[in-house]
Amino acid sequence: MVDHTLTVQNLTKVFQTSHGEVCAVNDVSFELAGDTFFTMLGPSGCGKTTTLRMIAGLESITTGTINFDGRNFIHVMPSRRNIGMVFQSYALFPHMTVFENVAYGLRVRKASPDTIKWRVSEVLSLVGLSELAHRYPSDLSGGQQQRVSIARALVYEPSLLLLDEPLANLDAKLRIEMREEIRRIQKELGIMTIYVTHDQEEAMSVSDRLAVFNAGRLIQLGAPDEIYNEPKSVFVSQFIGKANLFKGRVVRRDRKTAKVALEGGVEVTGNAVVDTNPDFPTWVSEADGAIMMIRPEHTSITSSGDGLIPVRITRIQFLGNFFRYIVECRNAVREVIVDTPRAIAGLAEGDAANLILNADDIRVFVGDESASS
Amino acid sequence: MSIEAEAARGRLIRGDLLPYVVGGLTIFILVAFLLYPILKTVLASFVVSGKPVAWQNLTTENFTRFFEAGTYQDAFLNSATVGLLVTAVSVALALPAAYAVSRVAMPFRNLILALSVIPLIAPPFIGAYSWVILLGHRGIVTYYLVEWFGLQVPSIYGLFGIVLALSFHYFPYVLLFVQGALTAGDPAIEESAQVMGASRTRVLRTITFPLVIPTISAGALIVLVKTLGNFGVPAILGGEYYVLPTLIYYQVNGYFNLNGASAIALVNVAITIVAIWILTLINKKQKFITVTSLARRAKLQTTLGIRVLANVYVWTLLVFALLPQALVVFMSFAEVWGGTLLPTVYGFGNYKRLMGDLGVPIMNSLLLAGLATLMCIVFGTVAAYTASRRGFFAKWSLDLTIMLPFVLPGIVTGVAYLTTFNTGILVLTGTGTIIVLAYFIRRIAYIFRSVTASVGQLDSGIEEASRMCGAGWAQTMRKITIPLIAPGIVAGGILVFSTLITEISVTILLYSASWKTIAIAIFEQLTNEDIFGAGTIGSFAILLTLVLVFAASKIAGKSMAELFR
Repeated sequence: MVDHTLTVQNLTKVFQTSHGEVCAVNDVSFELAGDTFFTMLGPSGCGKTTTLRMIAGLESITTGTINFDGRNFIHVMPSRRNIGMVFQSYALFPHMTVFENVAYGLRVRKASPDTIKWRVSEVLSLVGLSELAHRYPSDLSGGQQQRVSIARALVYEPSLLLLDEPLANLDAKLRIEMREEIRRIQKELGIMTIYVTHDQEEAMSVSDRLAVFNAGRLIQLGAPDEIYNEPKSVFVSQFIGKANLFKGRVVRRDRKTAKVALEGGVEVTGNAVVDTNPDFPTWVSEADGAIMMIRPEHTSITSSGDGLIPVRITRIQFLGNFFRYIVECRNAVREVIVDTPRAIAGLAEGDAANLILNADDIRVFVGDESASS
Repeated sequence: MSIEAEAARGRLIRGDLLPYVVGGLTIFILVAFLLYPILKTVLASFVVSGKPVAWQNLTTENFTRFFEAGTYQDAFLNSATVGLLVTAVSVALALPAAYAVSRVAMPFRNLILALSVIPLIAPPFIGAYSWVILLGHRGIVTYYLVEWFGLQVPSIYGLFGIVLALSFHYFPYVLLFVQGALTAGDPAIEESAQVMGASRTRVLRTITFPLVIPTISAGALIVLVKTLGNFGVPAILGGEYYVLPTLIYYQVNGYFNLNGASAIALVNVAITIVAIWILTLINKKQKFITVTSLARRAKLQTTLGIRVLANVYVWTLLVFALLPQALVVFMSFAEVWGGTLLPTVYGFGNYKRLMGDLGVPIMNSLLLAGLATLMCIVFGTVAAYTASRRGFFAKWSLDLTIMLPFVLPGIVTGVAYLTTFNTGILVLTGTGTIIVLAYFIRRIAYIFRSVTASVGQLDSGIEEASRMCGAGWAQTMRKITIPLIAPGIVAGGILVFSTLITEISVTILLYSASWKTIAIAIFEQLTNEDIFGAGTIGSFAILLTLVLVFAASKIAGKSMAELFR
């Protein structure tokens, strides 16, 4: 395995549309090395696919650079980049058999018939499709087509594998199966991989590193657990996993902790503070406004008066391995979700209760640094 | 290879240049053989015959004749009248049939659609003379109308005959379009109106009909454009009734006044464009997207009365539409037919008689049409591909240029070519080349449209996948794109070829003694009043085009009706 490096610097893409200029990708930079499984995650239209297509060479670059092993990619034709790519639509050649589809990249590279035969059967067995080599794509199921398209991208031993929402067209169960399969193959071949998806669970489960995109910008980069536990913005905290958000005002702040006063006089301390300007949501208008975030599994409720924040239970859902209490709280931005492994005795839908929040689990997002005083 | 060297190699843009070279060549050909002749025609129309195009010679004299000469004014009004009447009659004939075929339980639906395509394949002038045999002064139908009912039919020569022949020939365009829209429409829309309490006629009036208005006007547009540009039918059935295309022919053939003909040609184009513009305006008012559902078909009406009515109407219409073609074949087997209502002797005499004369026109038609088709395929495919994929600098201009010949009546193209290639750098008059080029320009839009549709259906990811696999542009074209759009190219090609072997309106101005085609042979037989000879060659032409269109439908995997939609 050759150790490759990919450096993307200040990548920007501006599309000219009939409504004027649209900045699809805005100043994106990241660096990858070795066999990293890198995922670009974000809502649709966030620029992740455009970034991928620029790396592939299918989209021109407005400004910025892409270097692969120190070689500037900008003037390299897509066909000369030695990249394997899997498309959302699979883009299989409908007039060729599975074998011919997979052999295509080798034929283009003028490989000998023996090499082609050997390599194609090797890759087909890697994706578990040896039996179907002589079928046409139209005779295959979605999952099988997906495997062919992966085999086709891998057969010529590309230095980089790009996957553009490869599982979007599969059903839920197959998606989980295929993502594990992709991860297994990727690690087996030790190939640097960039994966695009809008499904946060999928992204968390397969990636070594994760980049969260929003509105054309890369807003957070890190390992999946890092991004889940230490989101740097309100957007990321809501996009990765579920988040309970409370509105308040910062009353005291030092470097690591902040005390937030909620409406109604309750004061809560959070043991992590993040300055998120300029990504702070506009719906918090006050200069010293703050958003308190806590994950549902760290939130609890009690029927006794111990808690500080009064709530009302609107719905109790039994989800098999845990109970989900959906409660109404005047301090929260939306409804509050409480996940707990066991039912809480004495609480039914419609009951009043109290929230219990632990300072260690609370992250306080502060919109403006001037709020710290 | 070092990283630097590899990067340098990658920087070569060789692969990227090729599409521009090919696209550039296509644009050059379009400019040289379409835009340039049009420009020359416009210039020529402002100069009096015999004088060179120069600043001091410019005059509007050729156009002022439209205000002075009665023949010009008549031809102008006649063209407008024929255009409007044929369009109105075609729509009126087609709408009930379209509704019947798509919404009433009828047997042989596919047969009906296939039969209705037949008139569209062969040009209307081949069957035009049949109307004389049926409804002429001593026609078969005329005889019975007079004998049984004492009815007098208006003279078949003139407005009546032209409108009759063209309407029954062109109504299938409207029928096929509207039938397609009615079949594809989501039945839930009408059902929801019914559930809300609307009666069947109310649904028809407030939902069904308004939803297909855009489709009706699209069909009407084609009928109108074809009628305004038609030369063959008014040439045969017009008599003293001149329309613009026959007036052009008269100017060129009688006086070789190309400048005068150019002016008439421009007026002809102008009224075509105005007609298109009006129809587009009507269409714009009705802007909505018809949701199509593939899941379910509309419920068919099964009431006995409606079914009987629908069947009677549709089959009567088809009989009238196919009668001219059928009579052509019938005439080819009539050996003796003089002074009696029906022929007295039947046989292959006409075929034996014409065997020797048929070879040359057939060979000429096949050769000229074949070469033109080949050119259409090459350049039409490239242009369509460029327009839909490459985001070329002026995609819309390519689009517009290619579709331009669609509004240019054939005879106008003929005038433009005579004007441009009679003298000057490139003298082509009287050659086969000029006919091939004119055919090519007239039909490239067919391939352009059919390939544009095929490329549109092709997932662009498939080509991108090929490039990611390492294939360059040319290799991707050869191995992926062309094989995948081949059915569209071949079907379009056959359609071009089959309509070209009987092309008359361009050919009539550009042919020379050594380049007579099938259409010219038929036309000559008719002007010599040898209707049996005309029928014989006509039968051959009909048979040939039918076989070809049938082949095209098999290759494209579409029904014959879909090819013309």
